[in-house]
Amino acid sequence: MSPEEQSEDIARVYRFLSQCMQYPDAEWMDEDFFNVFYSLLGTLGAVNDAVEIKKKIDQAEDPVEDLQVEYTRLFINGVPHVVAPPYGSVYMDKSLQGTFAGNTLAFYRDKGFAMEENADLPDHLIHELEFLSLLTLENDLPGEEEFLTKLFRPWYEKFHPRVTEGAHHPFYRVVVQLIDFFTKEEDKDGFQPNKA
Amino acid sequence: MAFNLTRRKFLQTASLAAASVPLSKVVSANTGVTKAPLDPKGTAGDKTVVGGICEMCFWRCQLVGKVRDGRLMKLEGNPKSIDNGIKICARGNAGVKLLYDVDRLKYPMKNVGKRGAPKWKRISWKEALDECGSKLKSTVDNYGAQGICVFPHGASAKYPMHYFERAVGTHNVSEASFFQCRGIRDTAYVATIGKAPGEKVDMPNTKVLFFIGDHLGENVHVSHIKQYIQGLQNGAKLIVADPRFSASAAKADIWVQIKPGTDTAYMLAIMNYLVKNNKYNKAFVEDHTEGFEEFAEAIKGWSLEKAAKECDIPAAQIKEVAEMLAANAPHVAIHPGRHVSWHGNDFQRERALACLTGILGAYYVKGGWVPPKGPKVKGVSWAKEDHGHKYNLNFNHEEDEKIYSNPPPGTPTELIRDCAISGKPYPIKSCVVWGQNPMQTIPNQQKMKDLFNAMDFVMCVDVMPTDVTAWADILLPEASYLERYDYIKKGTQWDLSKEHQQYIAARMPLVPAMFERKDQVYITNEIAKRMGHAEKIPVRTIEEMVDKSLASANLSIEKLKAEDGIHIQPGKDPYGIPEDFSVILYNDDLEDSGHPPAPTYKPVPGNPKGFARLLYGRAPVHTFNRSQNNVWLNNAMPDNPVWVNDEVAAKLGIIDGDTVGFVNSEGVKSRTTTTVKVTPGIRKDCVYMYHGYGSANPLLTTGVGTGVDDQSLITKLAVDPETGCHGMRNNFVKLIKDGKVLDIPA
Amino acid sequence: MQYGMIIDLERCVGCHACTIACRAEWEVPVPYQRNWVKRLGPTMTKDGMAATYYPGLCNHCDKPPCVDECPADLAEMTFKDAKTGKTKTMEVAATWKDPFDGTVQVDKERCLGCGACADACPYGARYVNPALADDNSDGKADKCTYCKPRIEEGLQPACVQTCITGARIFGDLTDPNSAVSKYVKNGAKGLEVKDGHIGPNSRYFGNKKDISLLFADYTPELADMGSVKRRAMMASMVKPAMRKAKDIGLLGLAGAMLVKGLSEDEKN
Repeated sequence: MSPEEQSEDIARVYRFLSQCMQYPDAEWMDEDFFNVFYSLLGTLGAVNDAVEIKKKIDQAEDPVEDLQVEYTRLFINGVPHVVAPPYGSVYMDKSLQGTFAGNTLAFYRDKGFAMEENADLPDHLIHELEFLSLLTLENDLPGEEEFLTKLFRPWYEKFHPRVTEGAHHPFYRVVVQLIDFFTKEEDKDGFQPNKA
Repeated sequence: MAFNLTRRKFLQTASLAAASVPLSKVVSANTGVTKAPLDPKGTAGDKTVVGGICEMCFWRCQLVGKVRDGRLMKLEGNPKSIDNGIKICARGNAGVKLLYDVDRLKYPMKNVGKRGAPKWKRISWKEALDECGSKLKSTVDNYGAQGICVFPHGASAKYPMHYFERAVGTHNVSEASFFQCRGIRDTAYVATIGKAPGEKVDMPNTKVLFFIGDHLGENVHVSHIKQYIQGLQNGAKLIVADPRFSASAAKADIWVQIKPGTDTAYMLAIMNYLVKNNKYNKAFVEDHTEGFEEFAEAIKGWSLEKAAKECDIPAAQIKEVAEMLAANAPHVAIHPGRHVSWHGNDFQRERALACLTGILGAYYVKGGWVPPKGPKVKGVSWAKEDHGHKYNLNFNHEEDEKIYSNPPPGTPTELIRDCAISGKPYPIKSCVVWGQNPMQTIPNQQKMKDLFNAMDFVMCVDVMPTDVTAWADILLPEASYLERYDYIKKGTQWDLSKEHQQYIAARMPLVPAMFERKDQVYITNEIAKRMGHAEKIPVRTIEEMVDKSLASANLSIEKLKAEDGIHIQPGKDPYGIPEDFSVILYNDDLEDSGHPPAPTYKPVPGNPKGFARLLYGRAPVHTFNRSQNNVWLNNAMPDNPVWVNDEVAAKLGIIDGDTVGFVNSEGVKSRTTTTVKVTPGIRKDCVYMYHGYGSANPLLTTGVGTGVDDQSLITKLAVDPETGCHGMRNNFVKLIKDGKVLDIPA
Repeated sequence: MQYGMIIDLERCVGCHACTIACRAEWEVPVPYQRNWVKRLGPTMTKDGMAATYYPGLCNHCDKPPCVDECPADLAEMTFKDAKTGKTKTMEVAATWKDPFDGTVQVDKERCLGCGACADACPYGARYVNPALADDNSDGKADKCTYCKPRIEEGLQPACVQTCITGARIFGDLTDPNSAVSKYVKNGAKGLEVKDGHIGPNSRYFGNKKDISLLFADYTPELADMGSVKRRAMMASMVKPAMRKAKDIGLLGLAGAMLVKGLSEDEKN
């Protein structure tokens, strides 16, 4: 596989992960979507996770509403409190729109990108993944690496365990693990550093 | 879970169908920008945006914003302001943290769980508004307009409140700022001088400041504090009556360590002394008061000694105060107070303040009570309609008169709650909460829960997930005061002795609203359309409302912007008594309604054995509970230590910094604990804490569970007989330390 | 010239406007602070019941003990007098006292983030700000600058500008006609350390009982310089090793070196 093809593949994955983190809506969260999701898990050998999620989805009366409630609780406003707001600044500055969000936006601009009018805040997980996808498409691998190291991993490492521990639905537990997997650095043998 | 593939391996082998998922592109090409430096830049070089009107509290200072890269970095006083000037308080400065508070409501949400234990689901505005519209309409169709009750607070709640009162037609509206705060003051002064007094005392130019419980410094409103300190700097004497050595008491010449609830007795003795010794202002009394003889007769029993005993203070000190007032009259500032709903005898205390001002002749004179002459700007809202008295809960149809004779606007809270819970005399089935947090502003939380549980539908509109929002079926996110057009603030220069000027400023957004937050005009209008009131809608947008209102003063948003957010015009001399001005010392109308015609002291319930009276007040960095989740403010004063008298503490074996909880005389325990502040600066029979702490709603990640919620311990309700307002300081507590309940020694 | 600040406790109401304005202006993260307000009392003093406030900030001392402790390599810096344009070149570490305006400043680029200066300050006016961490440190020493960048723009310090009662007054203490000098003539004084003379330039004015309460509660002692010096020495010792450790991504090793540095120092 050529480096260009590889880049296209990883760009698609970033986009797909970004899609997974959108507010659930039956418009896109349909059978096709879940099939792609399961097949991705299958490729990675996480069949058990795919089975667990599929079971949960298939058994639910309204699987999309379940995920909407879960999404709201995890990422917007929840009880006992919002589990893991998907904004970098929340973890780095303890506030929305902190210095960290400013730095993130500056990085986008440095690379020639800007936020669209109706976009969320620049340090929203969705936009960071979209940005990574765009960088990858442009084959800016040093840029991708720099963004991951300086602006993505520092907060994602705090965000990820909050979702893992706080999730009631396996879908988001697995999505954040997928994102973790695809954004972690690895050594030359392809091993990722193990926290434990 | 573990993936049995490395990323590299995955990329080398896998080819995905993921690309077939449609994705919207939200990032596009634009110009480059340099990296932020290590040292923070400071705001000196940032863009200044004009038009802010603060609403961290309700004094509404005029602001400018410092904006960098679309982020609001800092708020400052508008240099053009003749009110707060370039100065704003801690809360004002912390407004940026409210704006960007991660816990703020962002999208409309529907509760798919239970009231009080919600499961939130983000929904679209259309779905949310359809739901609100149809549920409220169904209540009106089935039970009439009176089937809706409304709990509004703040500038954004005015427009919807007028909609429900005027267009829909319910009387069942209870504003916390009246029924749990300053309503009694306003109606008592109306019954005495014909108008609400505000806090319009000419402090910079007075000779004596007379405070009953006012704790300026802990209670902070910028231009008011400027006036207060200017007065002291100019040499004014300060008299403070307070059971506690408050921030004001610490600056006082005379601290009157009065027994709680006895303030009226104290003032009756002062007035009686002035009358008996011919030290009142005879010329003013002659020309501008009514019923002096009857008034003098009614209060004649109040000797210094009698009051000294009742108030637990030295008679000589009462005399000293009376003499000081007489010697400096009429240039004395008798402060009408702000939060005055204390003991259920408050109308009488406020009457006493108004009458004391009268016999000292301290109305419309330098240093007295002087209403500044501000500019006229017409409000624009829903057209008034007469809906009769039939469903007015504060109306006795048999007697054909009001139940509470002197209520503030709206309906007394208790009448609404009793009706809603019992269904009598008619059902109330929908509740609209707009900017108010009745869970923490209205005493007796259980009763509030009972009300919500009796509803078919509850909707809340707020910027933050306050405690009450957990009881909503639909929760709507509102644009904050920094993100919307709204309130028009007007007034005069802060010091009446300076050049007479007037100002008009309108709230204009400093930054656009984030997420899906909307303003009150949008939300109200959309609900009105769905309830069948489309043709009554007075303005289409909030900008139109502000522009129409400004037009009445020959201004517009455009013009105000060109004038840096504030229009300034020549003012008028406020001194000089209007010809028709009269102070009704002895009020026959009150007598007709079955209330005392002269100010009268009504004793309050005493402490049950082993209990201390629970007093509360303002923290300078907080506006009640509203600001508790603000990271900066929370850090400045993270909890509300309870003040315990040092001798009492010694007997109880507690020391400064101990952790304690509380149980009140009705057996209600505090949910949380706080630390002890041991001090000689409080009477032995009371404890004191800042109000607003100890939030229960876990959506407030910073504010939840910090300090103790005084309101949760205020379960006994006094109701002021003239006004129907609540009295909240007749509650008594014991301390709990290490699980042991400690009796307060007598 | 020596910039100084007066806090007039007769005017101060303890409202915290100053501390929050400073946070906004300089993006100071919670829980750190460049200035603070502590509430004192109510308590009994020999002059009667008293309650007042301790609005504190860097004192930009005449002999700042923090400056001497900085272990960063000396570098040549040229200072300029804003009024006369006169210049002076000196060798300074990463923190210094400005020879012209008397303020104490930090060069964040060169700061090692060791915290020795923070330990040396008897007022607790310095902290290591982790939000300013870079490749060479876990944070940078941070403190009140008397809002030097604002002064240079002709503005007042942020705390002074927002002080709602005008209780904070800023100016040149060496100018006998300045408002701050007049306050000093009327008795405003700094919280001088108990056991030395460092010449604090943030000074307090108020009535007798309030001032006696403040000075009784908040007169500081000089820090134990032994431990401060040890810390500074360690920082300069491990400095090159730290960089190297970070370069090869072996963070654990840096910790081990720190421990080693400490034990060797203790042996001496």
